[in-house]
Amino acid sequence: MDGEIFFGAEGSYRGSKQFSQQDIKTADATGFGAAADDYMERGIDLNEALIRNKPATFFMRMRGDAMTGAGIHNGDMVIVDRSLKAVSGKIVIATFNGEMMIRRLEKTFNKLRLVSGSGKVSPVEVDASCTDFSIWGVVTYVIHQPA
Amino acid sequence: MLFKVKTVNMKTQQLNRSTPTLFDESGENENRQTFKAIVDCNSFYCSCERLFRPDLWNKPVVVLSNNDGCIVSRSDEAKKLGVGMASPYFMERHIIEKNGIAVFSSNYNLYGDMSWRVMETLRSLSASGKVEVYSVDEAFMDLTDIPENELASYAMHIRKTVEQWTGISVSVGVARTKTLAKIANHMAKKNKAATQCVTVLATEEEQHQALRQTRVGSIWGVGRQYATKLENMGIISGWDLLHMSEEWASRQLGGVVGARLIRELKGQPSIEMRAPLDSKKMIATTRMFGDPVADIQSIKEAVATYTSRAAEKLRRQHSAAGYVSVFIVPKNENHNVGFGRGATVSSYARLPAPTSITNELIKPAVHLVEQLFKNGTYYKKAGVMLSGLVPDTSIQANMFLPEAKNAGRKLMDMVDNVNFSMRDDVLKFAASGTDRNWKMRQELRSPRYTSRWEEVYEVK
Repeated sequence: MDGEIFFGAEGSYRGSKQFSQQDIKTADATGFGAAADDYMERGIDLNEALIRNKPATFFMRMRGDAMTGAGIHNGDMVIVDRSLKAVSGKIVIATFNGEMMIRRLEKTFNKLRLVSGSGKVSPVEVDASCTDFSIWGVVTYVIHQPA
Repeated sequence: MLFKVKTVNMKTQQLNRSTPTLFDESGENENRQTFKAIVDCNSFYCSCERLFRPDLWNKPVVVLSNNDGCIVSRSDEAKKLGVGMASPYFMERHIIEKNGIAVFSSNYNLYGDMSWRVMETLRSLSASGKVEVYSVDEAFMDLTDIPENELASYAMHIRKTVEQWTGISVSVGVARTKTLAKIANHMAKKNKAATQCVTVLATEEEQHQALRQTRVGSIWGVGRQYATKLENMGIISGWDLLHMSEEWASRQLGGVVGARLIRELKGQPSIEMRAPLDSKKMIATTRMFGDPVADIQSIKEAVATYTSRAAEKLRRQHSAAGYVSVFIVPKNENHNVGFGRGATVSSYARLPAPTSITNELIKPAVHLVEQLFKNGTYYKKAGVMLSGLVPDTSIQANMFLPEAKNAGRKLMDMVDNVNFSMRDDVLKFAASGTDRNWKMRQELRSPRYTSRWEEVYEVK
């Protein structure tokens, strides 16, 4: 469980996954069903692919069009991992002035910027002295239903 | 990164050390470095409520009990304003309104999920793998083989990781025994700025120092009655208690328990880590009614609903119950009589055979209500307990069992599956009634952010 390598992710990751809900199904056949059971697999589980660290993962719903440019549309489900380090260029959930917002993080040598993915919302500049700013979590996946 | 390397070293040490124990069983325990930590969430319910509400960070918050009756959790800011713990909401209402304190009804779905997250984080941090969940917001951890000079940084690592992953702030107390760890935790909490929520009592000197400033009443395992008794004897601090003999304690403080307490205070581990119960010995569901109820029909419906809940829990752990007990608590008009509580009325029934099937459990439960209920009495609370648990044999398709029994169990699986995926009891038994006027009052409940798709946080 520990240190398993996650597909496409940044190397090995130490986290926790526990999917007790997913038990292996059985064919439950009345005749010679037992033979089929030998080949029964767990089946594809989205949790396994989309969640790296379960206790640190939260779901949120996107409201508004602040991030359409980044491919996150109104009504989409975003998956947020609090255990990841927020690096420049990542889409994050940030708190600023008592509000939660989803933006792209841009770090320069002495400044932080929260940039929206559409031209309509102006970026938020945060300087080092600001105490009313924090990173809540890092967005890892977006679940979008095509129109 | 640094920590990971250390963890590996510690594991090899553990392996090397375990060899001699085969031959030398006697003195082994005393020489070995054993430390225990207790990790305790700070104002847990308030912390959960604040997680999705940055506007409330550093602001006063309180959470009300089950029925919006009492205050069960206060943030530090609310404590400073003088809001009392466990005091009735209406008595604190003026302070709350004057200071604009944020008030929440209990959101147990959220707290339960957040508690699981905290415990799961601790399990993945533990080198020994030994984590004992002590309550919804506390856990003991076994720190065997963590070098003494690294205890503080390890405890800090635990605190920071839990906070980072779950957003819940915790305090960590570390010492040689559970009782001393509890005292350490208390000290960490009392002065968060200085301790950064971590206190380690490693040396004898530190233990004694801590005991000098701890009153007997706040020591883990010393109840209010014993505290009064001790103080009347002139034993005021933990330091005073430490100097009493085990024989004295076993005479004065309830036998073995008292003697154990003295050893724990001396730093000799006497209360060991408990392995998690893989299945519970009994299952209970009990709630307060929103308003006192006087008609038997409502109470029957409530009891039927609680039985369904309990039966669901029963099936989840693959058990069957041999006994059903029901209790109902009358609302006591006269609080001066007895212990301030109305006398609980309870009764139990033995089932013909252990079962996990809801309707087979509801029938006797409702029958018990008929026995217990007295006309003209108002009731404020009811509960159902399933005991005499045995493994449920009807789970595996059993050809020696009558067909009908298997069908019942299959039906239950279906009910559970539908309810699990749809939540909110889409399928329920008719005995549970359709409108619940006895349902819990929860006027100020926050969304169930982590357990319902319709209630997840909406971010802009």
